[in-house]
Amino acid sequence: MGKRIGASTRDLIITNLVAIVAGLVLSGFLLLFLDINPIQVYSSAIKTLFTDRYMAAEVFLKATPFIFTALAFAFTYKANLFNIGAQGQFYLGSVAAVSVSLLLDGKIPTAILLVVVFAATLLAGGLMGAGIGFLKARYNANEFLTSMMSTYVALAFMNYLLRTVLKETKGEYPQTDALSEAAWIPRIVPGTRLHLGFVIAVITAILIWVFLYKTPLGFRIRAIGSNARAGELAGINSRRIFVIAFLISGALAGAAGFTEVNGVQRMLIQDFNPDLGSAGIGIAILANANPIGIIFASILFGAISVIGTMMGRMPGINVPPSIVSIIQGSVMLFVIAAYYVRAMIGIRRDKKRLKREEA
Amino acid sequence: MREEIKGNWSEIEIRNVSKYFARVVANKDVNFTIRKGEVLALLGENGAGKSTIMKILYGLYQADEGSILFDGKEERIANPKDAMKFGIGMIQQHFSLVYAHTVTENVILGAMRGVIPYAKAKEEVESLASRYGFDVDADALVGDLDVGVQQKVEIIKALFKQTTLLIMDEPTAVLTPQEADQLMEFVRQFVADGHAVVFITHKMKEVMEVADRIIVMRDGRISGDLRKEDTNEAELSRLMIGRDIVAPAKVDFEGSDHERSGLVVKNLSLAQGKVKLLDDISFHLRPGEVLGIAGVSGNGQEELCETICGIRAFDSGSVVLDGVDLSELSLRERIEQGVGYVPVDRHRDAMIGSMSLAENIYLKFSTDGDWNRRGLIDTNNLRQKTLESIEDFDIRAPGPDAPAGNLSGGNQQKLILSREMRLAKKLLILNQPTRGLDLGAINNIHSTVLKARAEGLPVLLISTELSEIFALSDRIAVMYKGRFMGIFSPRELNTEHIGLLMAGIVPDDMSHVAGEEIRAEVV
Repeated sequence: MGKRIGASTRDLIITNLVAIVAGLVLSGFLLLFLDINPIQVYSSAIKTLFTDRYMAAEVFLKATPFIFTALAFAFTYKANLFNIGAQGQFYLGSVAAVSVSLLLDGKIPTAILLVVVFAATLLAGGLMGAGIGFLKARYNANEFLTSMMSTYVALAFMNYLLRTVLKETKGEYPQTDALSEAAWIPRIVPGTRLHLGFVIAVITAILIWVFLYKTPLGFRIRAIGSNARAGELAGINSRRIFVIAFLISGALAGAAGFTEVNGVQRMLIQDFNPDLGSAGIGIAILANANPIGIIFASILFGAISVIGTMMGRMPGINVPPSIVSIIQGSVMLFVIAAYYVRAMIGIRRDKKRLKREEA
Repeated sequence: MREEIKGNWSEIEIRNVSKYFARVVANKDVNFTIRKGEVLALLGENGAGKSTIMKILYGLYQADEGSILFDGKEERIANPKDAMKFGIGMIQQHFSLVYAHTVTENVILGAMRGVIPYAKAKEEVESLASRYGFDVDADALVGDLDVGVQQKVEIIKALFKQTTLLIMDEPTAVLTPQEADQLMEFVRQFVADGHAVVFITHKMKEVMEVADRIIVMRDGRISGDLRKEDTNEAELSRLMIGRDIVAPAKVDFEGSDHERSGLVVKNLSLAQGKVKLLDDISFHLRPGEVLGIAGVSGNGQEELCETICGIRAFDSGSVVLDGVDLSELSLRERIEQGVGYVPVDRHRDAMIGSMSLAENIYLKFSTDGDWNRRGLIDTNNLRQKTLESIEDFDIRAPGPDAPAGNLSGGNQQKLILSREMRLAKKLLILNQPTRGLDLGAINNIHSTVLKARAEGLPVLLISTELSEIFALSDRIAVMYKGRFMGIFSPRELNTEHIGLLMAGIVPDDMSHVAGEEIRAEVV
C-alpha cells in the first residue's frame, strides 16, 4: 500500500512539472513569433528571481492574495459547490478594509486597528458569501450563476463608493485617500514589499486544512460535498451546510482585500486586482483543492506572475504584457490535462501489477 | 432497410479469455463453448465474472487476452454492433429502454436505417409477441409498463434483430415467481427453435430448472463445466463458493418479555398525486422480533422505510417507537433515538465511496459528543471503533483509512451494517440488505440480523428474496401497491401463496387468515 501512495505522489510531482514546462514551452513559441528568444528571456527572468532579493520577495507578495481566493474556491468545492464570485467578495473586503482603515487610523494603535480591519474584511466577504449560500439553500438558486453575477454587483457598488463617499479629498480621481502609515501591515523582509499578510495567509491555509479534515463541521461539509444524499440521510442538514460553506468561502476571499489594501496598495483604486478571483479558481484546481497544496500552487503562480512582469520590463526587448496571461493560461491547461494523464498512468500500472501477480 | 445478420454459426468458442480491471482480475483463462439448441447457465456468485465474460462476447468490453471463435474461425467483436452481426443479443440486468417511446419504437431502435416503415415494423413486433405468447401492446409507452412486460419488450427487441444467441443477465431478479415461470417457458421454446441461450444467474433453483449445461464461475475463473443430468445442487454450490455454507440457526420467537413496546404503526398512508404509495398500513413489531416484508420491489417498501426513518413525511396515520411519537422527531433526532437503517441503494444513500472506512462509520455520529474531543474529531477513538467493526463484522479491507469505495459490495454492506448496529438501540430497518452480495457476505449479514433479534431489537426486514424472508422472519407481510396483503406466520405460507399475494391476489384458501391477522394487529 505504502509503495502505491509513493508512486502516485511521484506521478503528481512529475506530471505537474512536465505540465508547467510544457506551458512555458508553448508560450515560448509565441515569443518566437515576435522575434524574441524565449530561452534568453526565461533564463534571465528566472536568474533574477534567484539572485534579486526584492524580486524573490515579490513572488510571495503576489502569492498572498492568491492563497486566499484559491482557498475560497477550494472550500466550497469541498462541499461540491462552486463559488465563482471570489472576485466580488474580494472587492467588498477591499471596500471594508479601506473604509475601516480611513475611519479609525490614528485613533487606535496599529495592532488593534489591523485586527479590526481584518475582521471587517472577513465579515464583508463572508456576508456576501452567506447571501449566495442562502439563495441556494432557500430557493435552490444556482450558486454558480448567483456567485458569478454578484461580482458585477460588488464591482458596481465599489465604483459607486469610489465616486461618492470614498472619493479622495482632492476630488480628482475615483479613488480613496492613501492610508496613513498606522494602517499598513508591517513588512517582514527589509528592503522588499513582503508583508505579514503572507504569514497570515499560510496560517489560514493550515487552519482551513485542520477545519476541513479534523473537525466535525468540516467533516459534514465534505460529506455533503461527496455524497449529498448519504449525508442528508445521516441527519446532516445540507441547507445549513450550503450557507456555512459560502460564509467561510466569502470570508476567505474578503481577507484578500485586507492584505492587498493594507499591505500593498495602501489605498483603493478603480480596477483593483481584477484577476484575483479567476486566478484563485485555477490555483485551487492545480492544487486539487488541497489547502496545503494551495500554498505551493499560489507561490508558483506568484512566480509566473513576477516572471511576466520582469519580462515586460527587460531593456531592449519588447515583450507584450499579455504574455503573462498566456503563460498562466497555458500552464493551467497542461496542469488540468496532467490530471487525466495521471489517472491513466495509475490504471495502467494497476493492471500491469495484477497481470504480474496472476502470472 | 435492415442489416444483414450472420447468425448461422453452430458454436462459439471462448478461448483463454482474460480481462483485468484496474484493481481486480475479472476473468482469467476462461474457456467454454456455446452451442445452438442448448440453454447454457452461467452460475456464480456476484462478482464471479459471469457478466464480464458475456459483456466481452457482446462487445461491451474488450478482452485483454484470448480470442473468440465462431465455428473455429477467430473473429473480432469491437462493439455490440459487431456482436449483433453474429446474431448475438444481450439483455442487461438494467434494461436499455427509452421510457418515453412506444414498444415498437424501442424495438426498432438501432435496427433500421433511412425511412422507417412504422406500420410494417409494428406488425412484425405483434407477430413476434404472439409467436412466443407475450401479451404486449405494440403502441404502449414503455414507461407505462410493468418491469415484467418491459423485459418482454427487451426480448422482442433482440428477436427483431434476428438474434440467434440470447444472453440474459439475472433475468428473474425483477420478476414474480409466476412471471419467472413464463420466462422459463419462453427460454425452452426459443432453444427448441434451434437457437442458443446463455442464462446468467446466481440462483441454483433456476439453473436446475432450465439449463442443459452449466458453467460455474468463481473468482473470474471456470470452476465447473457440467451437464445438468450429471450434477446436483450440492455439487454446484460447492463449486460456486468453494466451501460449505452453514445456514444460521434460529430459535422460534416466543413472545416478548421486554418492557419496551417496540414499533407500532397505525393506518400509515402516503400519496403522490393520485398514486397511493402507502395505503393504510398497520402493524406492531415487538422487541426481539423480525417482521419480513416480501414483495416485488417498487411496491412501497422503500417509502415505508423512509417514512419510519424520517427521510420523508407521511400524510396520515401514526408511527410510535417505544411510546415516542416519531412524527414529532427530525431525521437527526430519530437517529439519536436509535433507529438504524440499511437502505437498498448503499452507494446513493448510505456510504461515501471517496471517504475512508473510519469516516463512513463516523458519518452518523458527527454530532455525538462521545465521538469528538475538544471540538475535534476524536481520531484515536474513531480508529479503535473502526478496527472493532472490521474485526467483529469480518470486513476485508486494507485498514480503517482505506477508501470505502474500493471494498467489494459485501464488505461495504458489512461496514454499513456495523455502523447501523452500533446506533440501532431501538429499531433496525433493513431494505434488501443482501441484494447483489456473495453468499459469504449474505451468511454474515443473516447472522447479524439474528444477533440483533436475540439482543431484543425489533427488526424490519424488507427483501425480494423469499428464501431470505423465510429464513429470518418471525412473521411475514406481503406488500403490493403500498398495501399489506396480510401478515402471516411463515408456517401458514408457501412459495405459491406468496407469489400470488405479491401479484395482489389473495389465494382462496387464505383470505380468512389474512383478515384475522390484520384485525388482531391493530390494537
